[in-house]
Amino acid sequence: MRTVEILLVIIIITGAFIISSFFAVLPQPRRVSPINLRRLALTTLQTLDSDHGLSTTAFMPPDDSSWNSLEAAISACLPPNIVYNLTVYQVQTNGSALYQPLKSISNVEDLGVESDASSSLVASSNVTFNVIPEKIGERGDGGTLYILNCSDANGWWISGYTAQTLAQDLCTLFSPYFQPNNIILLNNTGQLGQVLDGIPIQGERIQNAIVINTFGEAVPIPTSYANKYSSDNYAQYCYQLGNKTLYCNWTWASIVGDPFYYVTNIVKFNGIQSWGIYGTQTVGQKGLTAFLRGLNNLTYISPSDTSYQEIGTVNLTSTMLANCSNYGIYPSRSQTSSRALPNSILAAYNLVARVLLFDPSPSYPTYIPGALFEHRNGGSVAGRFLDLGLARTPDIRLTALALLSYFNPRLYRAEHTVADTSRLVVLQLGQVGGI
Amino acid sequence: MTGATIDHLVSVVIFLVAILIFIGLFNQTIQTAILYQQHRYLATKCSDTLDNILLNPGSPPYWGLTSTNPTSFGLQDPEFTQYRLSPFSLMRLNSSIGTPAFYSKTGLYYSNTTTGFGESLLVPYNEAIDSKAAASLLGINGSYGFSLTFTPTVTVSVSEVQFNPLEVQVKVAGSGYPFAYSNISYCLINTTNVAGTYPSYNIIKQDNVPTDDQGLASLSFNGTIGSYALIAYAHTNGLVGVGCYEHLCYTDNYAVPLVSDFDSGDMLIANSWDIIGGANPSAISYNATFVLLTEDFTLQEMSLENATQRTGIVNFGMGQPYGIIKISTDNPGILVISYMKADNNSDSGIVLMPWGISSMAFPLTFGDDPNRKEWVATDIRQVTVGNIAYQAKLALWSLEGYQMVN
Repeated sequence: MRTVEILLVIIIITGAFIISSFFAVLPQPRRVSPINLRRLALTTLQTLDSDHGLSTTAFMPPDDSSWNSLEAAISACLPPNIVYNLTVYQVQTNGSALYQPLKSISNVEDLGVESDASSSLVASSNVTFNVIPEKIGERGDGGTLYILNCSDANGWWISGYTAQTLAQDLCTLFSPYFQPNNIILLNNTGQLGQVLDGIPIQGERIQNAIVINTFGEAVPIPTSYANKYSSDNYAQYCYQLGNKTLYCNWTWASIVGDPFYYVTNIVKFNGIQSWGIYGTQTVGQKGLTAFLRGLNNLTYISPSDTSYQEIGTVNLTSTMLANCSNYGIYPSRSQTSSRALPNSILAAYNLVARVLLFDPSPSYPTYIPGALFEHRNGGSVAGRFLDLGLARTPDIRLTALALLSYFNPRLYRAEHTVADTSRLVVLQLGQVGGI
Repeated sequence: MTGATIDHLVSVVIFLVAILIFIGLFNQTIQTAILYQQHRYLATKCSDTLDNILLNPGSPPYWGLTSTNPTSFGLQDPEFTQYRLSPFSLMRLNSSIGTPAFYSKTGLYYSNTTTGFGESLLVPYNEAIDSKAAASLLGINGSYGFSLTFTPTVTVSVSEVQFNPLEVQVKVAGSGYPFAYSNISYCLINTTNVAGTYPSYNIIKQDNVPTDDQGLASLSFNGTIGSYALIAYAHTNGLVGVGCYEHLCYTDNYAVPLVSDFDSGDMLIANSWDIIGGANPSAISYNATFVLLTEDFTLQEMSLENATQRTGIVNFGMGQPYGIIKISTDNPGILVISYMKADNNSDSGIVLMPWGISSMAFPLTFGDDPNRKEWVATDIRQVTVGNIAYQAKLALWSLEGYQMVN
């Protein structure tokens, strides 16, 4: 009797096994360990469009021979056991059918149940998509850009250029990022003196302005200021510039070398020359010290020298490289730094290096080859100073990159809303063969 | 009573046997399911690892251009996004299929990527990244083995139809399909040797030569041709391929370029006898130049940094110094070295070395051998290396998995 019961149990368990086996269907090995077809399709589309070849073909008539080339190119990209179907859709914006198939090429009738797809929106080469930058100052700080373009001054360490050509180039570089009336070239030292006295040139806002000194290691000095602030070989003038930067919340930008090493005014310093450049007067390394003391609102004393370091090749930081792509400014990745500032100035003058242009040199980790410094007055920012302690010849793209990285104007890209300017390309892949 | 006991015993025995059989059956099903699960995980891991390698440049981002070892492994070109790889990072990977070369004058072994006579890339092991280091940086060392291969998508084959006057045929094809009506840019470097001097050369360039409907293009050249090298780039629908061909009048001894230092761009020019030996050793004189592929698919000659180093004589045997030249560009190109037997100007040849692996469309295999592994997951991506289309394939297997076969 028990044997019969056991046999019944066995029948029940067998039934359970058969029923559970029926539900526990294991997938085919090919489905267990599949090739990522979606990624393969995506990378194939990207490769085919790497020189805009796919975009060009997508806008060709359906009977154009370029489709044959595209077919051969797709076949070349895919392994032999991968089948495909590429369909190009016209993107309609009139509200009815959004995507209308235009052309389809395939090397198989049916992709089977195991397939995956990726898509890419390609644009017609006949259409230009604009990028409109936000204007600096629209969100608060800044708004006025002063570029020193003084005809009565001479530059130093800008070999191969003149301050005037650099000023024009900077004007062109920055024109998309400022209101046209807010870019002001200070064409002589008299105009510079006017701004330093707080009188606008054309009704602009002086507070929060950016001042770019295109004269390299020299800084133009108005005659009135040269008469008034001549102590310590005009280091007192540099102090005044620092103090003005503090109270007007300026961003003072030096494009190359040791800033404030000379002052220049070809009328005031007629017949005086440094290294063969007439109209210049050497201040020395104490010029920078005086500027920083003025920026930090310390009392004026006869300043000591700010020592710099020659550290050789430096490389742009990864953030700067990303910003190069963002703003379309491409200076050389490697630069030579011969006037790097010690980071001891940070604590000494309440500075914070907000934009570091270069990775620190492993040999001189305590020196800063180029940075935009914020001066902190309590918890708030009061004045900024861009120093590029690089060797001549200057690359003003670095100045532009540093300032744009700091003010970070947004870029508004035009939308693809013009009719028949976009086509959707869908590449669907399937796998054949094997088990 | 006895019958009941026997009935009891028989039923227990049958029951136990049945239970054992069912446990075995269920166990087998569960085991298979676990295996399937592990294989699926391996496939996912393979896809993720491949994207990890291809979509980040590593750290420091430009490690391919320096001699420093990366602290994080990635092959993406730091100046681009998506699946565009750095030709220099690839150049620093240790080839797992070439036979290592030993150069006694530096005392170093070199990772050897050779695609034919006169087409080689030799990178010293102390500058190359091996697969174990890469696995450690990827966090899979000891857990997974891998093999990463890069294969050019477009095959450009160059063959000589006749030597005098020179006629060369270029064939452009993908996997089984000819590339009809693709455009070819080529550069012919022809040695013009003069007795008693270093070998000299002239360069003939042309672009936009179309292939026919069979993917073939025929190139003809007039004038006296000695040893020559022809480099041809083909481009169509976003796919770019490259092929080379050398006609050599002398192969007993030849110049072998070796990478010395990625930081400085120093290359060594060695006498082949010092590396592979041979029957008739001889001093050779050489003349080096550098050509690069511009963005409009034309080949441009670029001067080497130190003009006095571009020519020289390298003798064989100990005590004889090697030549040193410097490549000072971050753009991929081809180092072209024309050489001749020092005492016979008619014995000449040309060797090529890619600077950036893509410039000669060198294939690369990096990692371990996937053969005899129980289960290998593979995944594929289409990538661009210095504008040249490649297929990147990663094979991944578990080193500690269930039922692993050694």
